[in-house]
Order: sequence, then C-alpha cells, then structure tokens
Amino acid sequence: MSDPGKIIEIEVLRYNPENDEAPHSTVYKVPFTDDMSVLQGVQYIKDNFDGSLTFRWSCRMAICGSCGMMINGVPKLSCETFLRDYYPNRISLEALAHFPIEKDLVVDWSGFMEKLESVHPYIIPKEKRSPEEGEYLQTPEQFGEYIRYAACINCTLCYSACPQFGLDPDFIGPGALAILHRYNMDSRDGGATRRMELVASEEGVFTCSAAAYCSEVCPKHVDPANAVNINKINASKDYFLRFLRPKGES
Amino acid sequence: METYKADVVIVGGGGAGLRAAIAVAESDPLLKIALVSKVYPMRSHTVAAEGGAAGARQAHDSFDFHFHDTVGGGDWLCEQDVVEYFVSHCPTELTRLEHWGCPWSRKADGHVNVRAFGGMKIERTWFAADKSGFHILHTLFQTSIKYPSIKRFDEYFCVDLVEDDGRCRGVVVIEMATGEFTLIEARSVILATGGAGRVFRENTNGGVVTGDGMALAYRHGVALRDMEFVQYHPTCMPVTGLLFTEACRGEGGYLVNKDGYRYLQDYGLGPLQEKPCNKYMELGPRDRLSQAFWHEKQKGRTVEGPLGSVVHLDLRHLGEARLRERLPLIYEMAQTFLGIDPAKDMIPVRAAVHYTMGGIRVDGHCASSLPGLFAAGECSSVGIHGANRLGSNSLSELLVFGKVAGDSAAEHARQASYGKTGALLKQARAARQRLMDIKTRTGGKEKTAALRKEMAQQMEDGCGIFRMESTMRTTCDKLAELRERFENIVIEDQTSVWNTEFLTTVELDHQLDIAAAIANSALNRRESRGAHQRIDGYGERDDANFLKHTDAYYVPGGPPRIEYGAVKITKSPPAARLYGAAGEKAEQERKAPHV
Amino acid sequence: MSKRRPYIRPMDGWWKKNPFFIEYVIHESTAFFVLAYALTLLVGLVRLGQGETAWSAWLASLKTPLAIVFHVCLLAGAVYHAFSWFKLMPVTLPPVRIGGRKLRADEIVTGGFVAAVAGAAFIYLLVWGLA
Repeated sequence: MSDPGKIIEIEVLRYNPENDEAPHSTVYKVPFTDDMSVLQGVQYIKDNFDGSLTFRWSCRMAICGSCGMMINGVPKLSCETFLRDYYPNRISLEALAHFPIEKDLVVDWSGFMEKLESVHPYIIPKEKRSPEEGEYLQTPEQFGEYIRYAACINCTLCYSACPQFGLDPDFIGPGALAILHRYNMDSRDGGATRRMELVASEEGVFTCSAAAYCSEVCPKHVDPANAVNINKINASKDYFLRFLRPKGES
Repeated sequence: METYKADVVIVGGGGAGLRAAIAVAESDPLLKIALVSKVYPMRSHTVAAEGGAAGARQAHDSFDFHFHDTVGGGDWLCEQDVVEYFVSHCPTELTRLEHWGCPWSRKADGHVNVRAFGGMKIERTWFAADKSGFHILHTLFQTSIKYPSIKRFDEYFCVDLVEDDGRCRGVVVIEMATGEFTLIEARSVILATGGAGRVFRENTNGGVVTGDGMALAYRHGVALRDMEFVQYHPTCMPVTGLLFTEACRGEGGYLVNKDGYRYLQDYGLGPLQEKPCNKYMELGPRDRLSQAFWHEKQKGRTVEGPLGSVVHLDLRHLGEARLRERLPLIYEMAQTFLGIDPAKDMIPVRAAVHYTMGGIRVDGHCASSLPGLFAAGECSSVGIHGANRLGSNSLSELLVFGKVAGDSAAEHARQASYGKTGALLKQARAARQRLMDIKTRTGGKEKTAALRKEMAQQMEDGCGIFRMESTMRTTCDKLAELRERFENIVIEDQTSVWNTEFLTTVELDHQLDIAAAIANSALNRRESRGAHQRIDGYGERDDANFLKHTDAYYVPGGPPRIEYGAVKITKSPPAARLYGAAGEKAEQERKAPHV
Repeated sequence: MSKRRPYIRPMDGWWKKNPFFIEYVIHESTAFFVLAYALTLLVGLVRLGQGETAWSAWLASLKTPLAIVFHVCLLAGAVYHAFSWFKLMPVTLPPVRIGGRKLRADEIVTGGFVAAVAGAAFIYLLVWGLA
C-alpha cells in the first residue's frame, strides 16, 4: 500500500459564470492513496477545501458516462483514471474540450442531446411483432454487426477528441453517429433509409476528416470513427445509386 | 415562479421512470408527460446493474416456480398477489424490450439465452453480457425519444410535491443549470427516484442514489414500508463498494476464505457442488451469503489486508475466453480498479450495501395512499421483494411496474382535474423559501460533507448485516442529533448556476429522513427475517408477532411513528426458509402429498 | 433571470495542444507533397506537348541536384502520407472478411503495406522491362 503522506498537486481550470470573466487555474494539494481515482481527488477537494468546486459524477465504475474531463489535455473518465499514474507530477484538469463550460468541470451537453435525439436512435422495425410472437431471432453474426456500437455510454469524450466538432459545433459528431450506425446495423431495424438524409447532410459524416482520435479515447472501444467512415461509403453509394434507380422509388 | 402543466409528471429518469413514460405515451398520445430527472436519464443508476432480469422462459420453468423462489427468497414478507402478477408479466416485458432493441445475449440458434442466479430454482435470468442494466436503460431512453408527448426536464431536481384538496397535483423542481424554481402542475405524479443506498458508507450505489422521492412522499404522509430491509450484496470491491455481479457465481465462480475453503457449505447451503447448482452454495440468496461472510470474519477466516477483511471470488477456472464473453465488464473492472487479471488471480470481495427492499408503500397498481401519487422501482415498496430481494428481480420490476405505474397514472390523469394554481403556487413558494433559508443561513459551522460521512458511518455501525438493540438505538439517537446539526450547516457557494454544494445539502436533508426511517424500523422489528438479522436475543423469525409489514410515518421533528400492516398470503404459507440439500428435501416433502 | 453564461473556449492553436493532433496535421499536410509531384508530372506533360526540345530540357532539369533533393523530399512526404493512411485503414474501411473471419486491425494495415510495395514493384519492373 501507499505511504499515506503522499500529496499530489491538482490544478483545476475553474470558472464560475457569476464571478469570473474567464476561466482561471487553481492548484490544490491533495493527500492521496494509491487506490484513489481522479474523481476521488476532486471529491476530496470539494469536501475539504472548496465546496463550490463543481463536477458531474455518479456510478464510479465507468458506465454512467458522467465524469469525463480533460486530464492533462486528454479526455478521460475521471473515475477510472488514477492519481498514482501522474504522481509526482502535477495533474491538470479541465472541462471536456469543445463544449461550452457551464461552471468549473461541468459542460453544456444540450447540443449533444439534440444530436442524439436527431439520429432516430431506436428500432424502426423491419416487420412489426407483438410480445406474444416472441423475440426476433438474431444469429451471433447478426449480433456481432452492431453490439460494439451499442456499447456507447454517451460520455462524449469522442466529441472532445474531435477537432471538426471543435471547429463546427453543428457536426453531429462521432458518438451520435455511432449510435445511428448501431441501429442501421441491427437486423431488427429497417430505418436506414430514414436516417440517410442526416448521414449525408451538411452536419453529417462528410464533416469528419478522419483524425480518428475519437476511437482512440473511447473508453468502451466503440470505434466511432469506423462508424462514421463506413457511413461515408454508404452515403456515397446511396448518392450514386440514386441515379440508377427508376424514378418514384425512394 | 415559472409554471408548466403536464397531465402526468414522472420524477426519475431511470428504468422505472422511462418505462412509465413510455407506457403513458403509448396508452394515450394526447397526454402530456413531463419527465423530470436530476441527471440525464442514461446516467441513472439502472445503468450499473450487471447480472440480468428474471423472467421464466424455459420449457421446464413456470410462473409458479418463479413465484415460490421470490416469496421464499423474501422470507414470506411479500405481497403474494402482487408477486403472482409480477412473475406472469416478466417474460412479456422482457420480450417487449427485445423488440425495442435491447441486445440480450443469445444462444447459437438466435434465441435469447438465460443464466443461473442466486435463489432461483431454474435459470431464468435474461442478460446482456454483464451490462444488463446499461443496455436496458439505454434501450428505454433511446426508445423514449420516439414519443413526442414526453417532454424531458433533464438535470432538474425535484424538491417537493404539491397537494390540493387531499390529492397530489404536481411537483416543485430546481433547474440545476440556473438554480431557478419551477412548479410543474399535473393530474398524476409518479415517483421513480430509485433507492437510498448512499445513506450507508460502503455501498455499490452511484452518487445519485439518495432516496429523494422516498423522502418527498414520506413528508407528505405516505408510509415508507419495510425500510429495515437493506440488502448487502456479498461480492463487492473493498473500500469503493463497486459491484461484482452475482452472474460471476451464476457462471460458476467460487467464494473461498483465507484457507481456500468454499465456506458456504458451513452455512446451510451445502453440500459442496462442483458445478453451479441452483439454490446451492454460491447460488444461494444474497442475505445468506452476506451473513456467511460476516460469520467468517468473526471466526477469523477472512483475508486481512490493507483494504480490510475480504474473501476471494475465484473465477480462474472459467478461463479467459468465457470471462471475456460473459463477464467483460467484471474483467475490465478487476483490471482497471484492482490491477488484477481475474483469469489468473482471485478477486478480493466483501459485502456492501446494494439495495433498499423497502420504500414508498403502494398497492399492486402502484398507487400510494395519497391520491394522484404513484411510485415504481426501487423507491417503491409494491411488495415483491419482502425481506430479501432475489438478484435479477429488480430489473424485471422496473419494466413490469414501470408499465403498471404508467398505465395507472394515465388512467388517473384522464379522470382527475388540475389543482387550483394559486394554492399550488403558494406551496411551491413556501418550498422555495424553506430551501433558500437553508442555502443562505449564516452563523453555523457544520459542513454537509462531514455530516453525510457521520450519517453513513452510523448506518453501517447500527444497521449492518447483523444488528443489536444497543447499537441501533445509538444510531437512532445520533441520527436525531445529526438532524439538529443539519440546522447549522453553512453553504459557502451562494451562486445560482450549478450549485452542487446546495443540491447535495438538499439531498442530505432527504437522506437524514430516510436513514431515520431505516434505523427506527429496524429497532422496532424484534425478530430476524431476510436481510434484517439480530444477534441480541431475536435471532429467530417470529411469524406470530412479525409476519407484518413495517409502516414508518413521518413525524416532524421526531423519530417516525411505526405501525404494522398485514401481509397478503395467497398460495404460499410461511415455511422454513431452506437452501442447499435441506431446501431440496423440504420441497420434495411439500410436493409429496400431491403426487 | 438566468445567470448562466456558458464560456466557449477558443480553438486557436488547437492542433498544437495534443501530440495526436500534431501527427494528424503532419499527415494531412503531406498531401501537398503528393499534389506537388502531380503538378511536376503535369508540367512534364505540357512540355511534351510543346515538342522535343522542350521535353528534353524538362528531362534535363530533373537531373539537377536541386530537382533530386526536391524529389527525395516529395518521396519522403508521399511515403509518410501513405504510411499514415494505411495506419488509418482499419478505422475507415468497413469490416473486411476473408473466409468468414473478420480481419484484425493489424492485418488490414499489413495488408495495405504489402499491396502498396507489391504494386510499386510491379510498376517498376514493368517500366524497367519496357525501357
């Protein structure tokens, strides 16, 4: 176990809209043990040094998606990032990049939520079925087509990793597009056509310049960059095939 | 103050709240629904459930088997008519969720697979690897987006209910981003705010699990039922309390003490089984396993280390491939948080608080004693868990009773009228004033975080796995003292935008009431049943005096008033609660006369 | 009245803030090397159209030390560009299946390299054979 006397410096980019013109850094000296996460570090600051420090958190086990922040410039979930891995250096914390800061480490997620809502993120059944008819069958291969994209926890680390989203906040972005792709790839779903307009739109997949950092930082290995890029191919196919299709068909 | 009118307002965006919202939207698209949640719905704690959801589906299973497992598992403190309804609706709801896209794990033939779970006679737990709650929650949330009649109030904190003419007519909420109060008027109100496990120190729960809805209903005169029954989950990460799902044992994991001995065989769960055997050994119910852990500790047979006393969860014999397929989250958690590879090393675990069996007393239609107020999910006590919940019954509960609550609230909304806005606004302003007084008062020197810590320690000391009159009494007294000290809390942050110091103080206000309800209900139950075990001379179940529900009623400024209510028995008369070979023998004897 | 005042951070110099982005910008900018070589060839084509004298002069200009250094730079840039694209292939391609099995990321990258080297060798041998 660790020596209980260890102290790490945590630098937090603070911003209080009611007092501050712009964000500013404050450094805290936090005693820590080797089992402490970055989240526990900021909780320690809030409970012991400054009750006004503001951040989101809940599950503590990397599944609720609340506690993302920039940790030394890299978007990470603070609950599964450990202080011991940064000690004895100073660790710097900042709200998730590319989102407006509401207060301290809390960002405005309303834009992301609107994007998520826009992708028709639900099964649009190919064929309707009642519960009495039992479940849809799905082979392991069909299951394997979408399950990876269904692992998205909506933590938005990918948005903080996406320079295109930073430059153009209207870009639907990696996370929401991965969820769109998840439903398109589901054998129960027949809604791909309805989602295509959005995929090919100005805010859609072609805004992506394939930096692919989103897939690098995704804590659940969803590979959103792959979802986006596959849809570039799909959208291109759809565009060209449209000329070959008889008129009147969608 | 801003006001908003909805037909049905739902507080809580977890599994039960979302299922209720969908039920209202499907029953009548013209009903306006307000879905209030203090976190974005997909952050709700349903997300952390791992193992799965129960629903009989194999040919050799039956609703009757599920019923008997549940009632026996609950030590006969269940509302048996409600359990009958529950078990017969689980498969339908689980199938419906499949239609909405839930990625249940499948067999090679494409059908949904089921796994074994503690206290369940037959494998009937539907699972999505070990992220069942996550997939259920995201499926429900994303499906809810389909319904335009659901208006979400994300990151709005509900702080009070409003009544008019003896009926619940709406809620008062704070928009967290601005600190502004809003009155949401409604014809029906559903509480789906989850449990209260955070009143304890070491627990598996997320930070949001602070029992808000329970406290609100309680203060409005609704009974909190069976609050003394708090579930300790036997396999949790030391210190943090993070959960290692029961599915670890369902898949064949062992629990061993410091000698490498599978100690459960000493606690009425044996004889030893090599392969997972339903209702034997590691597949016993959670209360028994947590109690066995406590006994092992008393005997000095736990492993003592820097993280405290632990036993070992041994998954090594399952092999990496199976672990990766069936328990990927557990695998990652062991690696990330403990730095161990569960295919090669044993996982240190101990019991930690996991679930509140009790809650807002509602009938089988999810209606509370306050007309217009409904409740579903962990915040409610609809009567299916009794004195001990079986693993995988709670995710099914969200779906079955989320729907019931939605249907009941929709039905009620079609008949009920709105309250008088003036009267409601007056209450809302009073609620705001009370909270602003807490926020702005000066002169004290107490800190929210410090009081919260003391409360959690008191609950662990007095209301742990085994309980005694003296320590429970101390806890009750200390909680009363903490309630007084709460009046001296000073909040440093006086701003409005995203003031979490203020909001956690409001949560603590709720938690202190819930903690008192738990501790006083426990103190008054002079017997041992399910998760409530005493070692002060009340070590046996006492059906003559305590085959009864505890009803705790709020008394301003004092401990709750405790009353007792009848338990509904339909087809399972109370019997000895046995597992392992003894349980099997008893079951055969029960059946024998009918053969 | 809401006291919200969300702060939007500027994007200035974003690409310097993270080593991943620096590499990304280098990768993107090496596309200009490929463009430069294409332009060089285009000039050659124009010169060919202008007659034999112009063509020979152009050929001669390619043999100057400056032109050789220029071409070495272009080659390096183009190779790096290709290298970084191959690295990205697993992310940009739909799942590649051979015999029912999904290829792993490293197999796709290696496959890309092998195909590129083989293709280049083939063209080289072809041109050599013709010459």
